[in-house]
Amino acid sequence: MKNKVIPFFILLVAALPLNSQVINRESLSSRITGYTFDVKLDTAARMVKGTLEASWVNFTSEEVPDIMLHMYMNAFKSRNSTMYRESGGSPGRRAVDRGWIDIISFTDRNGNDFMPLAQYISPDDENPGDSTVLRVILPETAKPGDTVFINVEFETKLPSRIRRTGFTGDFYFVAQWFPKFGVYEPAGMRDRPQSGWNCHQFHANSEFYSNHSVYDVKITVPKDYVVGTGGMLINETVPDAEGNKTLTFRAEDIVDFAWTAWPGYAVYTDKWEHVNITLLLSEARAKQVDRQFAAVKNALEYLTENVGPFPWPHLTFVDPPTIGSGAGGMEYTTLFTSMSADIMPEFLHLPEMVTVHEFGHAYFMGILATNEFEEPWMDEGINSFWEARIVDHYWGENSGLIDHPLLKIADKSYSRLSYVRSDNKQLVSNNEYSWNYPRGTYGMISYYKAATWLYTLMGIVGEETTNEIFREYYRRWAFKHPSGKDFIEVVNDVVTKTYGDKFGPDMNWFFDQVLYGTGICDYKAASFRNIKLPSKIKSQENDSIPENTAADDSLYKAVIQMQRLGEVMLPVDVLVHFENGDEILENWDGKDRYKEFTFYGHGKIEWFKIDPEYKIRMDINFINNSMTSDPDRVPIRRIADKLISFMQFYISAITL
Amino acid sequence: MKIFKSLGSGAQRAFKSWKGVLIIWLISLLLVSLFVIPMKGILRTGFGSSTITETLRSGINIDVISDLEQYFSSLISYLSSGFFLLIFLGILINSFLAGGLFSSLKKSSGRLSTPEFFRTSARFFWYFLGMYLMIALIIIVFAFLIVGLPVGLTVKPDTGAGTITYIIGIISVSIFSIVEVILLLVADYARAWLVSAEKPAFFKALGFGFSETFRHFGSSFPMMLIIMVLIVLFGWMAAKIIGIWKPGTGGGVFLLFVVSQILFFIKVLLKAWRYGSVTSLMETNKSEVPSDPSVGTS
Repeated sequence: MKNKVIPFFILLVAALPLNSQVINRESLSSRITGYTFDVKLDTAARMVKGTLEASWVNFTSEEVPDIMLHMYMNAFKSRNSTMYRESGGSPGRRAVDRGWIDIISFTDRNGNDFMPLAQYISPDDENPGDSTVLRVILPETAKPGDTVFINVEFETKLPSRIRRTGFTGDFYFVAQWFPKFGVYEPAGMRDRPQSGWNCHQFHANSEFYSNHSVYDVKITVPKDYVVGTGGMLINETVPDAEGNKTLTFRAEDIVDFAWTAWPGYAVYTDKWEHVNITLLLSEARAKQVDRQFAAVKNALEYLTENVGPFPWPHLTFVDPPTIGSGAGGMEYTTLFTSMSADIMPEFLHLPEMVTVHEFGHAYFMGILATNEFEEPWMDEGINSFWEARIVDHYWGENSGLIDHPLLKIADKSYSRLSYVRSDNKQLVSNNEYSWNYPRGTYGMISYYKAATWLYTLMGIVGEETTNEIFREYYRRWAFKHPSGKDFIEVVNDVVTKTYGDKFGPDMNWFFDQVLYGTGICDYKAASFRNIKLPSKIKSQENDSIPENTAADDSLYKAVIQMQRLGEVMLPVDVLVHFENGDEILENWDGKDRYKEFTFYGHGKIEWFKIDPEYKIRMDINFINNSMTSDPDRVPIRRIADKLISFMQFYISAITL
Repeated sequence: MKIFKSLGSGAQRAFKSWKGVLIIWLISLLLVSLFVIPMKGILRTGFGSSTITETLRSGINIDVISDLEQYFSSLISYLSSGFFLLIFLGILINSFLAGGLFSSLKKSSGRLSTPEFFRTSARFFWYFLGMYLMIALIIIVFAFLIVGLPVGLTVKPDTGAGTITYIIGIISVSIFSIVEVILLLVADYARAWLVSAEKPAFFKALGFGFSETFRHFGSSFPMMLIIMVLIVLFGWMAAKIIGIWKPGTGGGVFLLFVVSQILFFIKVLLKAWRYGSVTSLMETNKSEVPSDPSVGTS
């Protein structure tokens, strides 16, 4: 990063209050919270020390008696924290392994001490060993329109084993490192019955729900450290006598501020339309720079076109080095981390997938600031859906993840398999708080089941309508806090506007099953039969048979039988192919357990397929979706022949 | 030049022993088929009368393969247990047949009839099996010492594998490849000696293998290196052809089968060439050093 001194911006930042604009001309979100930091990275003590001035504006119409702050670094304090209780791990035995945040002083703007008024609480699980949420009773209630200012001097000790945040050697990834306001939700917001703070503890699976904020951050680090943040670099001083430099960053309208520092970073820059992109990675991965930039630019292009614009002119992403791999795959809107290895084969698109996914969070959680604790599917599930669409679109519909002559795997297949092949797919619905998922089900349900039913929704309503749903979702909810019901409302509005009542008065029947239900979807082609009709019966049974079909091969009553094995009922296409080449596409509402279609005048059925284009990706078994009188055995023979040859070669090789 | 003379002689001997090569190819095909055909049956049952196999025409479709579900688990357990049985039988049978093949490659051997081939195979079976196990053990130990240990030491628990690991890995694998070629040479000399000795003895053969390898290293190693490079290149080419070829018709699949079996036959022939070349070189070396009492004709 080059030494930049921009006096104009320094003056601007120093002179203007928090709700002024530096990066974007217009404010993108309500200015509810704002933060100003002056901190120093103490590499000897493995600490970030400094001061914070922050404010929260009571935009509601009611008086608020308290404030609540996330103190998430305390999750790394002991194995009794809720995060470690849920994950079963431990921060480590040595003091240096642990992480915590200590408040040295805590006052309001006038110097009134808040310390006696502050108390750690555990609103989610009443765990006395957890200190990740701090409640402060205000000396005076905050009236509508009031602003609560806090001044905090704090020390954050970073944990040694990077789990989202921490240090290894001289690599630092600093996230969840400062006291951060929860979200005050008035009654009615996100279907909330009563007003109150939404400030969850730090959990093993979730950590994001905050107001969009402005951040002015001064970070002092040793001069040889390269720093990357979610903000725009405003100023960088020359090193002082102690060999430290101070960098000033400004970020607007993001929900969290994280940063990284490591002397080994190489800095690469690129541009996509209005967005200046910075990539930090180790020199050992210099060969992957083009892959990384291609991934992020593809994601920018696809999401801009199909969801909405990326509003910031800056974006920084990091491929953590091997020593910092624990920081890989995290998202902080305008800063995110990818994941790779020093040697990464071209056919394996892991870095691309992670980059696309983590960038996607800038939309799904960043711009559309959903509550990851309470509705993780809106964050990880929707984002996994878009990740799969982008990866498969740009790197191959059947080879998005792995593109090798011997094996191709699409990203959407990976999502589907993770869900349909799981033994636990019916244990819990998609509508649970993140910490309520039974062990081993969170990722499968929140990421992959949601992505799979979103693909299924797209299969039912079509790709363009799906894109329009998300465009409308963006238009209505960008820089706000939508709930699941808000998303469903958008779906209902767009689908009924596009299709009328083709799918009923709304699409609630779909969400009731896939989001709120635990059922599985499985349609089966049970059988078909071709019954030759005597000409007399033929004429009696069906007068509608055209005379020109009176050839011998058309004198058949052809019947297909289908079954619904799962609980989920979805409309499906049924394609029937006759020996004479005729094809008929029927639609089955999928509601009955058993369904027959009968055909006259087309001759014998050769095959039929339920969901011939595999649009219903929730279907847990595609094999039983079709039936033919003449199965194609060629691929099986080919697989067997190849296996014979490879085994012969292998045995010959190992027997010297 | 001794190397090329031995290579030429080895090729002639391999062609002369075509019957032995044919037997090895045929038994290998039967053995592997016994393993693969039931698997084919599981796949056929799993797919039933579904049309979905058409999606496998362009290659493995992970969506489809995984949907085999209950068949998939039995397929995996069959493949894993069957695989080890297959490897075990493969080692026994190849050790058995290698005796016959080495015997047929001697200069003094005429064209061995099939019963003679099996008779000599049976005679040397235990020696050859022991030799295989001994050399394989030495190879495993060297693999651990040359590759496993250095690579393992560079992988730190908190940082994982880094660039140093990859560089050391590449260097150690290269060194190990050379060591493996030398060990194969030892094994081949030892086995060639066994079938030539009047009184075969296991440890004497092993000692001869080592002493002959290093006494004539200047000719033996380059010759073996040439053969191994060609064999590896051929194996790579065959794997490419078989791997990438995706015939879509029954006739095409049959052609794939025929071509892949021809390729495997050539692979066995190349192995016979290696054995023949080493045997020829040993005989040449012997004629140059007439006072080796341990080597005689059987």
